[in-house]
Amino acid sequence: MGNTLAARRGATYELQQGYRLMMLPAVLAVVLFAIVPLAGMFALAFSDYHLIRGTNWEFGWRNFVRMLSDKRLMNSVYVMAALSVFGVIAQVLIGSAVAVGLQKITGRWRVGRVLFLLPYAVPHVAVALIWLSLFTPTLSPINAFFDLFGVTVPAFLTSQWGAIFAIVVADTWTNFPFAMLIIMAALQGISPDLEEAAAIDGATRVRTFIHITLPLLTPALLMITLFRFIDSLKHFPMIFVMTKGGPGRSTQATNYYAYVQTFQNSNVAYGAAIAVMLFLTAALISYHVAKLNQRVTT
Amino acid sequence: MGRIVLRGVQKDFGADTVIPPLDLEIDEGEFVVFVGPSGCGKSTLLRLIAGLEDVTAGAIDIDGVDATDAAPGKRGLAMVFQSYALYPHLTVAQNIAFPMRMAKLSTAEQTRRIDDAARVLNLTDYLDRRPGQLSGGQRQRVAIGRAIVREPTAFLFDEPLSNLDAALRVGMRLEISELHKRLKTTMVYVTHDQVEAMTMADKIVVLNAGVIEQVGSPLELYNAPRNLFVARFIGSPMMNILEGRAASEHGAAAIGVRPEHLSLSTASGAWAGRVGLSEHLGSDTFVRVTLDDVDEPLTVRAAGERHFNVGDTVHVSPDADKLHRFDESGLRVV
Amino acid sequence: MKRMLKTVVAASIALTASVASLTAKADEVNVLMFGMPYTNGLQALAADFEAETGIKANIDVVGQDVFENRITLTFTGGTGDIDVVHTPVIQVQRWIQAGWLQPMTDAVAEMPGAADILAGPLGAYNVNGDQWALPFFAGVGLMSYREDVLEAAGVGVPETWAEMLEIAPKISNDEHAAIALRAVPGQGFNMFIFPMVMRAYGGSFFADYEGGDLTPAINSPENVEALKVYVELINEYGPEGAGNFNFAEVNAAAQNGQIVFAVEGTGIISQIVDPDKSRFAENTGIALPPGGPAGRSPAIGVHGMGIPASAANPDLAAKFIEWAVSAETVSKIALAQSFPDFTTASVAENPDVVAKYAAIHPDFLSTRVAALDLAIGHYRPLIPEWPALGQAIGESVNAAINGLMSPEDALEQAEQDMRDILGL
Repeated sequence: MGNTLAARRGATYELQQGYRLMMLPAVLAVVLFAIVPLAGMFALAFSDYHLIRGTNWEFGWRNFVRMLSDKRLMNSVYVMAALSVFGVIAQVLIGSAVAVGLQKITGRWRVGRVLFLLPYAVPHVAVALIWLSLFTPTLSPINAFFDLFGVTVPAFLTSQWGAIFAIVVADTWTNFPFAMLIIMAALQGISPDLEEAAAIDGATRVRTFIHITLPLLTPALLMITLFRFIDSLKHFPMIFVMTKGGPGRSTQATNYYAYVQTFQNSNVAYGAAIAVMLFLTAALISYHVAKLNQRVTT
Repeated sequence: MGRIVLRGVQKDFGADTVIPPLDLEIDEGEFVVFVGPSGCGKSTLLRLIAGLEDVTAGAIDIDGVDATDAAPGKRGLAMVFQSYALYPHLTVAQNIAFPMRMAKLSTAEQTRRIDDAARVLNLTDYLDRRPGQLSGGQRQRVAIGRAIVREPTAFLFDEPLSNLDAALRVGMRLEISELHKRLKTTMVYVTHDQVEAMTMADKIVVLNAGVIEQVGSPLELYNAPRNLFVARFIGSPMMNILEGRAASEHGAAAIGVRPEHLSLSTASGAWAGRVGLSEHLGSDTFVRVTLDDVDEPLTVRAAGERHFNVGDTVHVSPDADKLHRFDESGLRVV
Repeated sequence: MKRMLKTVVAASIALTASVASLTAKADEVNVLMFGMPYTNGLQALAADFEAETGIKANIDVVGQDVFENRITLTFTGGTGDIDVVHTPVIQVQRWIQAGWLQPMTDAVAEMPGAADILAGPLGAYNVNGDQWALPFFAGVGLMSYREDVLEAAGVGVPETWAEMLEIAPKISNDEHAAIALRAVPGQGFNMFIFPMVMRAYGGSFFADYEGGDLTPAINSPENVEALKVYVELINEYGPEGAGNFNFAEVNAAAQNGQIVFAVEGTGIISQIVDPDKSRFAENTGIALPPGGPAGRSPAIGVHGMGIPASAANPDLAAKFIEWAVSAETVSKIALAQSFPDFTTASVAENPDVVAKYAAIHPDFLSTRVAALDLAIGHYRPLIPEWPALGQAIGESVNAAINGLMSPEDALEQAEQDMRDILGL
């Protein structure tokens, strides 16, 4: 039957069928491991599921109403915003600078390409442990070095902004290679003739970068910023390992707060509601990324 | 304005010398074409003049001033790239305006020059478009427009027509030639196509392996190639080269005779041979003739339509006045 | 609508978890533990269990955060893919309340080895008249101190926190700080150590825990005083950055000679006094943690193994637990790992085990027993809400240490958080 159908509808139909078949595993995986749990999470978010207080399976908006007046949640959003904004800016700036530098560098220094990728390959928990030691004065070689000159490096992890700085540094260290990779690919797509043309047109290196290279990198920069921003909404391992949300509660980003509510406070429904909010935020940004991507590539 | 002098210019890439020390003078207002096979160093030489590559040794003077170490933008040159190198994020008008923006010209002056260039190059209707929305020929004209508005002391063209199809190429060739006539600015033009060189140049520089084989007007090169390389490179179809007995008869190690300077006869002639394939162009017929004791077949140009059968015996005679003689080292014997 | 949503929840959890449960087989026992010396040692002995019983044991040892995620999924979905689960005593009440565990009273009654388990830790799992798990670990709070430094300063080992405060300035210098204590927030982090100070000063979490009055009392004057001591010790006499120390940093600081005193669990103290691990070990002594006006209350943390309500093979699970806490198995682990925290009494009579830990430090095992004797079972309250309460109080304690709040305000906030969590 398949044969006659294919014959009647032509080779294109057969190809289309093949392509659809190729997508099947991915579709199944998304449905099984994304859509189903997501539906569960949404339903939980409207429920009263609580591991200790008991559950009556009453559904309503109570969790979302509570979120509106939850000062800890508001605080967690500020923390998340600070971590995300500073982290993403640092990653994009450093990643771009390294990418531009690596593109220009020739010879032996090109091994830097591989070298700079390494932080990206280190698991986040390990990254967090490395930076926890570096920011712990009694363990840190940085402190030991400055102690030689009688200079005391402050303990970053014991103040709110110091801890946020430390987490941003760790996050940047492991994630700037992502920005670097994308920018390197984008730079590869820019013909070297353009820089030469600009040089002949009388532009200095700086003006060439500002007027030619930078505008051509804009789509890539936008994409990285948004991708990294979405990813940064999921801040967890760095906080969990480096500060446990401290000092006090001052580095409890939203995702960490959801963990506290779900696993420490047993309030699974409220944790799910926070997760839903995070998901919707990420989805909203993703939607704009997709739209932007379409505009840039067509 | 626009006199460029190269004195002992040398270029090494690492341990490789791609251009051994070389001298060249380009006069004001001249249309000079660098021609040679790919890898001969012609583009490198142009990039040295542009300042896109640093010279290893030697000096480059532009209008009597040593420009050897001057930045590309400070040399007063404009360049048109093979890829056009248009800025994809800028409109046509912005592309043309770019060098003027860098030179901080007044907006009014910029507008005036853009309008002038657009009119000359038929781009007036496209000023608001981006390069991606233009055809190949239009892009080429934008690149030229961007060069013109700088009012440079010299234009540099790096194989500007090789990305265009054959018909467009002929048209653009004429446009560039006309532009040169009108502007009377020095132009240095790189190509691998000897037809472009012959049709456009005031002066052709034939390069081979980084060395200048000959400098001269198109007809000088055609009539008196200094050596076998130039003899083979200039002229289409290629000059026939004969060695051995035929050459020694003329007291040379090798003789060359262009297809148009050979005549065919079924009855008698200098050399006897058999007809191979013929190419019929209508106006001419190119007949391949294999001589009895020569491996390479000769190409003979016969006017109009001539018909031979493959294997026919024919006689070929050179026009004695147009015979080129070369010695053992390949140099022309006068 | 309500039914539909409930179905969605159940279906989604079950569907997600059932992928994991596909591996469950009838003649195998699936064990989920989180990483510590005992569990690592147990994992290495899985083959012994199979050799003895013919039952294959799949022992999964994961990180603590992964562990919490997995059990929540499995227990909520009731998928039965775990037969034996790591059960910290601090969680057991909450899990019972949530209906996640099944009692093993009958199984334990038939185990001859159960009599060999230390009564205190065993009793910690006796809730509402049923036995819910068997303990394998009881870590207690101990103190290590640098004998050479104390001798040089001409001071003795402090018996109380007040004495500690007196001694601290005399032994703090550029080379080393006086003491390091856990500061990072968490019921298992600073809330493992801080209650030792609280209880020494007569403080408690509730108005009358033993009498059943669970009115929060964390803002009591005794607790405020204790917190001030804790804050002063860490900030004035602790090393740089001590406000973010956890056990790993305390351990490292002691092993590097950066501190004189460490008050820690047995797991850490055993490393601090181990000559193989610390070059200061030879000059390090062990003592009971300091007390106060209300006596001495060493920290205690008990871990055990329980059987999830949804376990597919509860009988095999009980068999496995019996084997895992047997004197023979525990002795092997005590010898193979750094594991002096066993709760199987007769292991302490095993000459090899005694020799091993005596070689590390002669006073170690005896001080541990003394501390165990003093420790109260409800050092941290044994109520389902404890994880939430400990988290909130720990955050307040940490905020006070790092100067975000005064000790009074911090405990006032903790009081409020406790009321919120308990729904008062």
